[in-house]
Amino acid sequence: MDTVIDARVKTFIQVTELWIPDGDRLVLANGNYGDLAAFETATRAISFGKGEGLPGKAWAEQRPVVLKGFDGSYFKRIEAAAEAGLTSAVALPVFDEDDLKAVLVVLCSDSDERIGAIEVWSELDGLMMLDDGYYGAAKHFEWVSQHTHFPRGQGLPGGVWSARTPMLFRELGSGYRFIRADSAGKAGLTTGLGVPVPVPHDRQFVLTLLSARGTPIARRFEIWDARPEKVGKETAAILVDGICERDGPLWTDDNDAPPRRVTANQGNIGKVLATGLPVILSGAPALTEGYSAMVALPVYQGGALAHVVAWYI
Amino acid sequence: MQKLVVIGAGMASGRLLEQIIAANPAAYDITLFNAEPRGNYNRIMLSPVLSGEKSYGEIVTHDDAWYAENRITCRFGEKVVSVDTDRKVVIGEKGEVPYDKLVFGTGSSAFIIPCPGHDLPGVVAFRDLEDTTAMTEAAGKPGARAVVIGGGLLGLEAAAALRLRGMEVTVLHISTHLMERQLDPAAGYLLKKDLEKRGITVMLEASTKEIVGNGRVEQVNLADGTELPCDIVCMAVGIRPSVKLAQDSGIACGRAIKVDAQMRTQTPDVYAVGECVEYNGALFGLVAPLYDQAKVLAKTLLDEEETFVMRELSTKLKVTGCDLFSSGDFAEGEGREDIVFRDPARGIYKRLVIENDRLIGAVMYGDTADGNWFFGLIKDATDISDIRETLIFGPSFQGGAQVDPLSAVAALPPEAEICGCNGVCKGNIIKAIEAGATDLGAIKATTKASASCGTCTGLVEQVLSVTLGDDFVLPAAQPVCGCCDLTHEDVRRLIKVQELKSQEAVWQELGWKTRNGCHVCRPAVNYYLLADWPLDYTDDPQSRFVNERNHANIQKDGTYSVMPRMWGGMTTPQELIAIAQAAEKYGATVKVTGGMRIDLLGIQKEDLPAIWYDLNQAGMVSGHAYTKGLRTVKTCVGKDWCRFGTQDSTGLGIKLEKKLWASWTPHKVKLGVSGCPRNCAEATCKDIGVICVDSGYQVSVAGAAGMDVRETERLVDVATEDEVIEWTTAFVQLYRENAKYLDRAYKWVAKVGLDWVKETLADDATRRALVERFDISQSVYQVDPWAERAQPAEAVKFHPLADLTKEAAE
Repeated sequence: MDTVIDARVKTFIQVTELWIPDGDRLVLANGNYGDLAAFETATRAISFGKGEGLPGKAWAEQRPVVLKGFDGSYFKRIEAAAEAGLTSAVALPVFDEDDLKAVLVVLCSDSDERIGAIEVWSELDGLMMLDDGYYGAAKHFEWVSQHTHFPRGQGLPGGVWSARTPMLFRELGSGYRFIRADSAGKAGLTTGLGVPVPVPHDRQFVLTLLSARGTPIARRFEIWDARPEKVGKETAAILVDGICERDGPLWTDDNDAPPRRVTANQGNIGKVLATGLPVILSGAPALTEGYSAMVALPVYQGGALAHVVAWYI
Repeated sequence: MQKLVVIGAGMASGRLLEQIIAANPAAYDITLFNAEPRGNYNRIMLSPVLSGEKSYGEIVTHDDAWYAENRITCRFGEKVVSVDTDRKVVIGEKGEVPYDKLVFGTGSSAFIIPCPGHDLPGVVAFRDLEDTTAMTEAAGKPGARAVVIGGGLLGLEAAAALRLRGMEVTVLHISTHLMERQLDPAAGYLLKKDLEKRGITVMLEASTKEIVGNGRVEQVNLADGTELPCDIVCMAVGIRPSVKLAQDSGIACGRAIKVDAQMRTQTPDVYAVGECVEYNGALFGLVAPLYDQAKVLAKTLLDEEETFVMRELSTKLKVTGCDLFSSGDFAEGEGREDIVFRDPARGIYKRLVIENDRLIGAVMYGDTADGNWFFGLIKDATDISDIRETLIFGPSFQGGAQVDPLSAVAALPPEAEICGCNGVCKGNIIKAIEAGATDLGAIKATTKASASCGTCTGLVEQVLSVTLGDDFVLPAAQPVCGCCDLTHEDVRRLIKVQELKSQEAVWQELGWKTRNGCHVCRPAVNYYLLADWPLDYTDDPQSRFVNERNHANIQKDGTYSVMPRMWGGMTTPQELIAIAQAAEKYGATVKVTGGMRIDLLGIQKEDLPAIWYDLNQAGMVSGHAYTKGLRTVKTCVGKDWCRFGTQDSTGLGIKLEKKLWASWTPHKVKLGVSGCPRNCAEATCKDIGVICVDSGYQVSVAGAAGMDVRETERLVDVATEDEVIEWTTAFVQLYRENAKYLDRAYKWVAKVGLDWVKETLADDATRRALVERFDISQSVYQVDPWAERAQPAEAVKFHPLADLTKEAAE
């Protein structure tokens, strides 16, 4: 395997952390803090009750939460975050029906150079509306997104919503003449990953990660289908779509070859299948397709793990 | 070099060129014409390009570099004007090219309904990148509307893609349900519902009357008067082979270019492949047979034998989130039966069509996991009568539940010791993998795990698989039996590592597929548990072979043999009298064995406790002639009697036997002690042999004299009897702790290597620890089984349940 790490790039997300329930608290299971050792130390000292801090709020409200600007907010690590230059965060609860499996939190820093988008869309009156999002320096795109809605089946949020499956869009901004696509193109956004976010109540949420070449959210995306309807009774997943800066397309035309398939406990995706929990791994490029870090996120549907999305940076 | 000219750079001709170049790159000087200004791309992936879920770059199969590398002269963007088969030249817009062999790969073009307005700008087909780009452009206008005419595969893929692009989409379909050639009405209904959930309007039995617009398409009018304003119309109602050039060139055509099973047209040196061909009256639109044709034509052009065979085809729809599968014939008919499964909550529909105990058709919506399996049954015309009742539930149901073979290793904590020889734990192996050791050799080199006896190799490979995923190909291993996916070595190691101390723990933690094992795995697991955990685990007689359970060898007539132990081959008049009396009392046949003992044959099962009792009374115990354990210690008379004897071989043999008797081992263990190198006790073909010499004792191991005959190999030379006993005991314990059940010592040593055995036992501390563990085991197991079973409470178990000698009263 190619484990040569490319030159360091500025990434859109600085910190990714995984909180899991332990009794009535959320405790840190794992995290990728990069160089932010002091923030990591501050984090390791705390846990969250339901409704406490950002992870606790996502748990209590049973929905993804975007928090921009920590000062004066319910964010618990304000000082440490300020010292680390972190200014915004998104908390994503992972529910298996009523059961909270984990909360994935990503933290970003404001910078004129950092372009990307982490958006939370939710259904309102039969349309997907922007709930909130963090865009870094992509201010025009943020404004456009705030004034855009998607009916069922349209665009990345509408497509994910109606198909109930993660989707990966390429070449955002090229070929589309929608004002949002046009703005995406101008902002340099290239690849978009849309993920359904199931919650215990009926409201529909979709998370989108829109990555730009200069300050990528990820340089490799994968979508794995783990539904028994697709893989049979074995606990397994097949790679149904993916794109990688280094390896190119990751999907296979089934007229030529069957898709990649992993079973429970086989590698990082297999670990998600076996544990049902997200995986964050860093500092071991041999295990992360040659990249320095990866996140694998399970998506539940109808009381079972249905998909796994993974991104590598 | 012969000149090959190919007209058309589609998927079939692309595959043809790949095959020719792979087989013989120097076979032809190739010229490739393509009317499109580009080379080959995966045309069937245009739908996700249209939707934005793929980029055009991702679907290019042959780029400029590939053509250059393979020295193919590309005439892209140049139409072929004509072909002169007499002069054997292809005439392009920019000049002619001579050929020795010519291939038509002109493909097909979209069928356009000749309704009024069909030629207006804005009416497009969905065949190539130009069509795709035109639709993408049309989708650029906010609120733009599309009408897709045709509810087949291509039309629906276009409709879903245009919807994702943001258009208001209406699908018009002439039939009563969508994809009527591939789906039955029930599946068509689910598909329609699914598309409507995406905001697509589907109109069935919709007949297009005209397309109207002022200089550009503006509206579609239906025969029933419905008016559909639109910005673009996509016609996807079918394809037509592109054969005009062939017809004009005098190539024989029917509905398409006629070819034989070698893809030859009726014109010499002219061939055809792909959607432009007609074979046995059939036309082709799906890619699978085109690839088959390409393979056949490549062989034909390379003067090899190959025949095109039509095969069953299956259909999938490339709309993300729509899972459908169809194959075979599912029309209703006499003698055909349906099996239908529906799950309304999950939107699942499956229908199988059976005729003459063969599956002939399958339609599935919502759950397509077993599609390929059903497709295989259809293709192979498999007789499904035996599995008919459960056929609809797929292959998993036929084979039982799936289990995860990696779960046991995945569950191990980082500190779990994988390699006992070198003390390497799972965490260390994972660190090595993270640092780049991604195969077994690299792990051995960097951690030493699996580098000694090698019995943990399977586990190390599983750690590699767990850590690297499918980047590491797990070698196929021979599992203990069908109850589990682990090898004997893996099971042994995991019992130690996970401290599994009961059969239930093994079944559960190691993912056994059966409730409590089978006749193959239970004896092995029972042995492993008692060998590793003598103080915690209680031997389970029900997990033993019948001879071990009854502590006697069953004979061919159903009687048993009884063989008392004779320590080192020594006996006394009292013992012989007792044996003689017992033989007489129980009607035994008396045989002197090769192991220096006396065998009493022909004992009834119910008499066993009594004869054991009688022999016990004379001071004799079981000779364990039936066990996977110590059998005999054969000795010569030694220096007390023999002129050549160098040591007290008989005395040493007795000491060894008294030390080792009644211990359970992976297979039987036989010892020999010879008083001098003349080797009268035949010690050098035993599992362990001791040869006495003037300077002391030569201990050798791993001999055999059964199905295999092997001479022992020297383990160590020692000076004293105590050392012989210590080394021998340690060897037996090492064998007990590491060997696969039913491997004789010689087989085990061959696997782990004598060097490793020597190295391990040479370490004083290790050797003594082995002896200590053996002694602990013997504190539990060194008991005479005869004495236990001669007690009345146990003896009754040997009595038959009924007296079979009595006749029934009539």
